[in-house]
Amino acid sequence: MTAKIIDGKAFAADVRARVAEQVAAMKAAHGITPGLAVVLVGEDPASQVYVRSKGEKTREVGMNSFEYKLPADVPEAELYALIDKLNADPQVHGILCQFPVPPHLSERDIIARISAEKDVDGLSVINAGRLATGQKAMVSCTPLGCLMMLRDERGDLSGLDAVVIGRSNLVGKPMGQLLLRDNCTVTMTHSRTRDLAEAIRRADIVVAAVGVPEMVKGDWIKPGATVIDVGMNRLPPEEEGGKGRLVGDVDFAAAKEVAGAITPVPGGVGPMTIACLLANTLTATCRANGLPEPEGLTA
Amino acid sequence: MTDRLPRAAIIDGKAIGAKIRAEVAEEAARLSGQGWTPRLVSVSVGDTAAAELYVRNQQKQAEGAGVAFEARSYPQETSLEQLIGILQGLNHDPRVNGIIIQRPLPAHIPVKALQKAVHPLKDVEGMHPASIGNIVYNDLALGPCTAVAAVEILKTLPLKIEGLDVTVIGHSEIVGKPIAFLMMGLGATVTVCHHMTRSVAMHSRAADAVFVAVGKPGLVTGDMIKPGAAVIDIGINRVDGKTVGDVDFASVAEVAGWLTPVPGGVGPVTVATLMKNAVLATRLQMEHYRDAYAKTDI
Repeated sequence: MTAKIIDGKAFAADVRARVAEQVAAMKAAHGITPGLAVVLVGEDPASQVYVRSKGEKTREVGMNSFEYKLPADVPEAELYALIDKLNADPQVHGILCQFPVPPHLSERDIIARISAEKDVDGLSVINAGRLATGQKAMVSCTPLGCLMMLRDERGDLSGLDAVVIGRSNLVGKPMGQLLLRDNCTVTMTHSRTRDLAEAIRRADIVVAAVGVPEMVKGDWIKPGATVIDVGMNRLPPEEEGGKGRLVGDVDFAAAKEVAGAITPVPGGVGPMTIACLLANTLTATCRANGLPEPEGLTA
Repeated sequence: MTDRLPRAAIIDGKAIGAKIRAEVAEEAARLSGQGWTPRLVSVSVGDTAAAELYVRNQQKQAEGAGVAFEARSYPQETSLEQLIGILQGLNHDPRVNGIIIQRPLPAHIPVKALQKAVHPLKDVEGMHPASIGNIVYNDLALGPCTAVAAVEILKTLPLKIEGLDVTVIGHSEIVGKPIAFLMMGLGATVTVCHHMTRSVAMHSRAADAVFVAVGKPGLVTGDMIKPGAAVIDIGINRVDGKTVGDVDFASVAEVAGWLTPVPGGVGPVTVATLMKNAVLATRLQMEHYRDAYAKTDI
């Protein structure tokens, strides 16, 4: 049996279309336009590309995009003054600071400065705590995207055995929380786990987020399992001057012969991140205005 | 026929609790010497008979460890707004270092609304979303007492926690999930089971340590445990006038390597952890105050 290949691009386009529809409805019914503010410090070329792409996609779904570019040597106080201003601005429903930031700034302190209600990346301690205590939280975009794909693929997740590989604050931990909330039996594995293969062999759902190229082997996968690969690793170039291949944390070629469904790299989870950022901005706008949460776009 | 003797070592929670309280007493004395005697305020609402035994026990333990303890009771008809006002007053009162909200609360008072209203620096029960979030991010300050106590008990055993396979049965927000995060932070591989899990036994049998926090007497039996594993029983149930845990003690004691009894296991360590949180909160507040004062231009 060959696995169904989950098309992340198409899935993300569908999420964005649903966001756009609900933004249009919100404008018509309430005269409210969701707004996302993106702050970029310095001139990292990769970050500039991300920020531009986020801005374009934000406008495409009918939201306001507010972009702020600060010099690499911006004093901390000046950045905080901007964040405070955005926290207080009712036109701004989501705030995100593009990381990495220059070393004189603390990512942790920046996240703590952003109002939890506008923390559309879902990175603050308060949002992690809210998620863990079953309260309304902003949920980190990548795991939210994985959850949407899993629900679409498996329907009700209750009782399924899920293994999360990696315990990062950004992906692994919130992913575990979300799967628990959907009543999966969750095993959290990581670099210290003794027998990863054994844990994965029991799993109906595998989410890999470790950043080790093709670490998960095909014969570890339980037949029919759903495999979500969050990894994004560049292999060394095969010939000099060439560009190395982009691969995930799962040995895709072997795993797709066993799994029921699998996300490719690239074109799997990657495109979901911005789509979920927009979904979160819409959710934050609804909450700020006391409107019902957008359907099918939250955890 | 052979006599079947229990093989498990029975963990003495009272002794672990006493050791923690002795450390707390030392720290409380140090803080008192600097003018910061730790002080807890307990808030009960409505019919307080149910919680009275707990409150009295907490008071006794606090006073034994050099922590001041004030028990306040408010009438059943106190509104949520009034209670939040009371908590805000306690948050602002520099003589109060920790706030305990006794349960059960009257039906019209949502417990989460009160827990959120306690300042995170005074959250000695570790129930504020910020406290839980810190646990998730492996940055332990004030953790939920029962979960921290259960993990502290496991840490007293001669087991290497890094790489240990751990199964947590029960995924409550204040016990099961925080235990999972604490253990993961220590390097264990953690599986969380709950009422929707298809085969709890499959996961519990694979584990070197099992935490049980469900509230169902007899839920875990000896055949669900790997020989030699550590079993920490967090359940407290009343059966025929007796207090029992979630573990079928007789059968599990034959298989496990270590086992906590109920009562006398996690319970005494939980109260000691509350006192530990009280001195920790007091120190954090002292440092916070001094830090703020140091930055004041005069």
